[in-house]
Amino acid sequence: MVNPAVPAFLPHAAIEGRRETRLDLAQWLTAPENPLTSRVIVNRMWKKFYGAGLSRVLEDVGTRGDWPTHPELLDWLAAEFRDSGWDVKRLVKLMVTSAAYRQTSTASKELREADPDNKWLERQSTFRLAAEFVRDNALKVSGLLSEKMGGPSVYPYQPDGYYADCNTFRGPLIYDPSKGEDQYRRGLYTFWKRSFLHPSLLAFDSPTREECAAERVVSNTPLQALVLLNDPTYNEAARCFAGHILKEGGATAADRITWAYRQAVSRKPTAGELSILTDLCAKHLKEYQSDKDAAAKLIHIGLAPPPDGVDLSELAAWTSVARAVLNLHETVARL
Amino acid sequence: MNFLNDYQLHETRRHFLGRAAAGVGGIALASLLNPKLMAAAEAQAKEPQWRGVVNPLDFRPRAKRVIYLFMSGGPSHLETFDNKPQLAKLDGQPMPESFTKGQPIAQLQGAALKCLAPQHPFGKYGKSGQEMTDVFPYMQQIADDMCIIRSMQTEQINHDPAQTYMNTGTSISGRPSMGSWVWYGLGCECDNLPGFVVLTSEGGGQAQPVSARQWHSGFLPSKFQGVKFRSKGEAVLYVNSPPGVSTEQQRDVLDAVQKLDGLFDETVDNPEIATRISQYEMAFKMQASVPDLIDLSDEPQYVLDMYGTKGADGSFASNCLLARRLAERGVRFIQLYHRGWDHHGGVKQGVATTAKLVDQATAALVQDLKQRGMLEDTLIIWGGEFGRTPMAQGDGRDHHIRGFSLWMAGGGVKPGITHGATDELGYAAAQDPVHVHDLHATVLYLLGIEHTKLTHRFQGRDFRLTDVAGNVVHSILA
Repeated sequence: MVNPAVPAFLPHAAIEGRRETRLDLAQWLTAPENPLTSRVIVNRMWKKFYGAGLSRVLEDVGTRGDWPTHPELLDWLAAEFRDSGWDVKRLVKLMVTSAAYRQTSTASKELREADPDNKWLERQSTFRLAAEFVRDNALKVSGLLSEKMGGPSVYPYQPDGYYADCNTFRGPLIYDPSKGEDQYRRGLYTFWKRSFLHPSLLAFDSPTREECAAERVVSNTPLQALVLLNDPTYNEAARCFAGHILKEGGATAADRITWAYRQAVSRKPTAGELSILTDLCAKHLKEYQSDKDAAAKLIHIGLAPPPDGVDLSELAAWTSVARAVLNLHETVARL
Repeated sequence: MNFLNDYQLHETRRHFLGRAAAGVGGIALASLLNPKLMAAAEAQAKEPQWRGVVNPLDFRPRAKRVIYLFMSGGPSHLETFDNKPQLAKLDGQPMPESFTKGQPIAQLQGAALKCLAPQHPFGKYGKSGQEMTDVFPYMQQIADDMCIIRSMQTEQINHDPAQTYMNTGTSISGRPSMGSWVWYGLGCECDNLPGFVVLTSEGGGQAQPVSARQWHSGFLPSKFQGVKFRSKGEAVLYVNSPPGVSTEQQRDVLDAVQKLDGLFDETVDNPEIATRISQYEMAFKMQASVPDLIDLSDEPQYVLDMYGTKGADGSFASNCLLARRLAERGVRFIQLYHRGWDHHGGVKQGVATTAKLVDQATAALVQDLKQRGMLEDTLIIWGGEFGRTPMAQGDGRDHHIRGFSLWMAGGGVKPGITHGATDELGYAAAQDPVHVHDLHATVLYLLGIEHTKLTHRFQGRDFRLTDVAGNVVHSILA
């Protein structure tokens, strides 16, 4: 019979006279003289805010990993985290209020070529948002996001018949999209069918949960473009965003585009950007004025009611602008 | 480490020069003299079309693409391609212990092991006299195109790990499948469809689930993941523009996105933005190419009749026709799963029923490719994750890994031959065994790839499809 034990080559205070328990394991893992646990957690947290760990291979900080770029910083953070009583909020605050975090992500060409991986943290890193956040972000920008916490899983729109391919012995599963506020909950609450998760989460590299993933891959595929362009979730978000642009964005096209940019990417558009979106809006306004049916179809995607007192064609044209803005690289990336 | 970022960093201008110097040869030198050519080469690098890391190829390629007809569930070799008269003689008798002692077994553990005679009569077909049973009246007509391997061996005895083994060379999940390796290695010949496409159908027996893991890219960048097309309805999800948006209006929005991303890229110069712009282009092309792919109205009636399908109805037959259309469009690796070969009981009727669902279309695919001159550079693989026991499980057969059959056709394999043999009861590969690793090494060889050289560094070591094994089966090469 094999008894629970720590591998013999690792230091371990002997426990006499009884079988070791999970509590013994937990205490061994978090013993103050064990530097590894806090180091691994701190390294993973660092990745969330800086795009890459101080040691690049998250799942292995041992011999198959990478030597940390800043070993003393990693060690100091790990000790700090342990000594604070494993206070995660304090750790996050420490990281996001640092000078390193608050840097801009733009850098000169020379700097980028000298340090393409940003190992020396002379700038902030940029990376595409994680799958759930891509949707959360679109819902937030469009004013649809529910900030309700907890509760059972919810069911965002999913293509009809998607589960027909999910070959369980029990036969096809039924998927009923959530109504009301639950349709707009954070992606975190989306129902998970292991190995058959929601197709738009899948397209943005959410793991299928068939095995543990310490780190997600970050791909850039045509399926992502198809999701952002055509998934009703994003088109409903775009038309609701358009409603807000019309009601709150000001009177002129330039004011409205500027307002939309500030909502989506937290900056003002350049003259070049303004002109591209102004042209798009003008062309589509003309087209939707002569095809009200098409306009009506577009502004009724999803369950949210269209806003009152807004011209149908104008709303449809501004939906095109909103769709473009929600599809920008800048919108789905952390800069 | 972030593999994709890592890979994309290799697509910066500096790296492109380095890669071009190693790979495309003259371009790098010429570009130093001719900035226009350099600009053209850079534009090439930004195309959505991936050109592959095996550049130049290690060998002269015999096949340009693969169509893998995966017979999911484990077809019985004893009712299909492996003729065992001795097993018929021992019908109902105890299986000699010398065969089975100490061997892994799936559901027959602890049961009395008795021989079950082959349930369908064998015949010799074609000029080559290839042996198969009468469940394949159509495949009999392509006997002279087939290279039958009767000595396959694998190491996993249950469906999911065995399929994972057959696709990735290991039962440990998280490794890239063969299709992903091939796409990564060779690139794709089309710019409007993915390089690795999967289709599934079912019928004829217990339909074991097939996991998306089977076409996963594992630790390779996820853009090399097989894309499962739905065989009915919308082939790719979200491929249609939203209601109320015309194709032209979709293009307008996409143009705006690409222009705005381009302007932004001028200020930040991030290679990921260039990739995103090109992926939007691919997405827009797929909105046209995917409906065109599944619209069979341009197929003459005699072709539909040849495959035995009325159209995209989710059947194996319609998937075979789609496979040909995907091959014509330049897709590198096409994998069709037919779920229905798990005949634990009623193997006689079961094999006959499932065979009827795949026989005609399989033969039609080979003949159709042949008449279009495509069989010579398309490798067809037909086989399951394992075979079935010579021992009875009631009136069926259990899973079996020590010896089973698989066949290939086209793309550089010798037509009209049978390779290897099992022992007299069809239990273990006795002559010229072909392990899954050997099959993988051979497939890569046919595509022009030395299997020991196509590697990817992951968790501190270089991984390959054949891991640390695999020998090319030279005697089946044309």
